[in-house]
Amino acid sequence: MIGLPMLSGAALALTHTAIVAGAGAVGAAGAAGTAGIGETVLFWLFALIAVGGALGMITRRNVVAAVMCLVATIVALAGLYVLLLAQFLAVIQVIVYAGAIMVLFVFVIMMLNKEDDAPWALRGLLIKVLAGGGLAYLMARVGSVVWDAGFSPERAWNPGQAETFGSIGQVGQALFTDYLFPFEAVSLVLLVAVVGALVLANPRRPGVAAAADSGAAARIEVGEAGTAQEGGQ
Amino acid sequence: MNGSLFATVSPSHFLILAALLFAIGVIGVLMRRSVLIVLMSIELMMNAANLTILAFARQWHDINGHALAMLVIAVAAAEAAIGLAIVVRVFRILRHSEVDRLTALKH
Repeated sequence: MIGLPMLSGAALALTHTAIVAGAGAVGAAGAAGTAGIGETVLFWLFALIAVGGALGMITRRNVVAAVMCLVATIVALAGLYVLLLAQFLAVIQVIVYAGAIMVLFVFVIMMLNKEDDAPWALRGLLIKVLAGGGLAYLMARVGSVVWDAGFSPERAWNPGQAETFGSIGQVGQALFTDYLFPFEAVSLVLLVAVVGALVLANPRRPGVAAAADSGAAARIEVGEAGTAQEGGQ
Repeated sequence: MNGSLFATVSPSHFLILAALLFAIGVIGVLMRRSVLIVLMSIELMMNAANLTILAFARQWHDINGHALAMLVIAVAAAEAAIGLAIVVRVFRILRHSEVDRLTALKH
């Protein structure tokens, strides 16, 4: 419990250093007009952390360890956003994802006080194999198209990047002119989410909630019993 | 025409990385039993989509991609809040949160 915030703090400090270094590399590359070696090294570093964190996230038995792996992935993705000249979104990524959403996950895990769970869900394996095959096919097609596009420097980024691309000013201008309606709609979505979360998670609404809960529990248990019977037959 | 994979960074690198992360997220959703891990896998898939959006935004110098990615992050935050509230409620009622055992809506 004590190690957790320290770990997050260390990770964020590391990110800050990495992002500053990444911004320097991008700036140098932009000035030279070609991709620098620093950008390549940072890409592979962040890509390895991201993929490793994602793999760790889906394989850990301990849910808290899984959350920490996902935090590593998200922080590495913030670094990749900087490489993509999206500085503002990299900051938002660290604050909103690594800061808010992941803390929410950890908070819920601590509140539920769950024991470690079984690592893999193997029920309905046939459907999952089919879905996995479809996913593999999709990825193979996407991969072949991207592979044909090539990795050579000639096919790298289009030249002529503006200095201010991805800055807060430019993103803000887009958000408050072309995207004004979606922006306001998202504020409504967030309001509904807050109210909905309060209504769903509040245990002490007098009378109504308790009755509804016991009724729901009874219904759900009946449903589970039905499933068990079907499984037994 | 495939240039050297490691010499420089191109949009293809970011697109393949995003596809890889998305695939890992799908595997997590399909194969894990804990609702919390499933929700985290969904967050990972949204991040992969964001990475694709931003790669194309840089490729075409289009700031609209950044606005879109920002809206995706906001919607992901709302989704996480609602999803976790549902997890808390389900766990209070049933004392577990395993997706394979949550079958009430099937019957």
